[in-house]
Amino acid sequence: MSAGLAVDDAAWASAWRTRAPLDKLLLCGGLVVCALVLPAWPGSVLVALTAVALALGPARVPARTFGRAVRWPLAFVATGALTAVVSVDGGGLGWAPDAAARAGDLVGHSVAGGAAVLLLATTTPVSDLLPVLRRLRVPAAVVEVASVTYRLLFVLLDSLRTIREAQANRMGYSSVRRSYRSSGALAAAVLTRSFDRARRMQEGLAGRGMETGLRVLPEALPSSPAFLAASAAGLATLLTVGLVA
Amino acid sequence: MHIAEGFLPAPHAIGWTVAAAPFVVHGARAVVKEVREHPESTLLLGAAGAFTFVLSAIKLPSITGSSSHPTGTGAGAVLFRPPVMALLGTVVLLFQALLLAHGGLTTLGANAFAFAVVGPWAGYGAYRLARALGAGLLPGVFVALALADLATYVTTSLQLALAFPDAAGGFAGAVVKFLGVFALTQVPLALAEGLLGVLLFRVLTTSARPELERLGLLPAVPAEERG
Repeated sequence: MSAGLAVDDAAWASAWRTRAPLDKLLLCGGLVVCALVLPAWPGSVLVALTAVALALGPARVPARTFGRAVRWPLAFVATGALTAVVSVDGGGLGWAPDAAARAGDLVGHSVAGGAAVLLLATTTPVSDLLPVLRRLRVPAAVVEVASVTYRLLFVLLDSLRTIREAQANRMGYSSVRRSYRSSGALAAAVLTRSFDRARRMQEGLAGRGMETGLRVLPEALPSSPAFLAASAAGLATLLTVGLVA
Repeated sequence: MHIAEGFLPAPHAIGWTVAAAPFVVHGARAVVKEVREHPESTLLLGAAGAFTFVLSAIKLPSITGSSSHPTGTGAGAVLFRPPVMALLGTVVLLFQALLLAHGGLTTLGANAFAFAVVGPWAGYGAYRLARALGAGLLPGVFVALALADLATYVTTSLQLALAFPDAAGGFAGAVVKFLGVFALTQVPLALAEGLLGVLLFRVLTTSARPELERLGLLPAVPAEERG
């Protein structure tokens, strides 16, 4: 069983993995902005279709991963949109005027924006995006803490799953009371393990003469002028169609 | 509960980003200073960030039958203080948006304000108040985690109400609506998170006492008395 997260696994396996992170960031950022500013019809629908088509087509992201990843945000969007268009009038509940249109607007913008972010997430591992933060003048210490967070996260998720399985096998989750006790012990074990691991890594690195942080050679992922031109043309088309239609 | 990508209109998304920025920048400065003075803290801070992310992956049985995930920022605020959590919380939110599709990029500012700024400060404030009033570590931890969770959810509800005022009841009507809908899951979750915090810190006081002493959460006991 993979210890990773489905979206992260997809990002490493994606056909767009070797494209320059900044290229993908520009394309997806453009799509996110289009999703936000264009009218829901037809703008959001076009943005959502574009993002899904690019992910499942050229980027070869498994449809299952993409579909599963949107479930949680969809639950929030559905609840939030429904709440936004229900009106409380004199103690009674009713639909706000133009409720269907407003709900459609909200769902459209969110689904389109969500699909655009997911296109970035399923094609670009976080470790490729962090050096971009450095170029955006985020302090080196902050980027380094973020990259340690990213790398430790999988180790901790793995510990979490192993410990939880061991607890479950010992009937640790057989009643609500036991579930709470087990969850508390699980959180404590993961916390102490993470600190212990951080300390041991620190000692190991200090022994190897590390003074100013973990230096790794960034992988050379050259930017593609054709990709950028196609992105710009596609985004311009989306904007034109979205605004004119 | 994070606001999904694209859910907030552009002016709100920008406004909340501007509101959260000073806190996050202040947190970043605190982290840069800490790393400059103690280079070994990089790994510890990274571990704290990863722990916050992983804590939100622990499922808690909830009274309403469903299971919920704790926010995890309250524990971080007690252990590492709110300024550091403003930065770590924002990093965790960015990772949740990119790895789990929870939250989003344009709503990162709004979510950071609720999750990484208001939650930790409310939790830490409650913790300090409880300790000043004579409460022990565990009751302090309970109010800190429960309040950090509640404050995050109330802030998110206010943000949504500001963006989508009720057609008849205006802002106030919308606040009642959003608080009401999300209270179903969030109030039991806040209590559950407080309880989890107590269980977590109870284990820590026995298994990680030196660390808690170093963080100033427990009075230092001389080694010879520890036995």
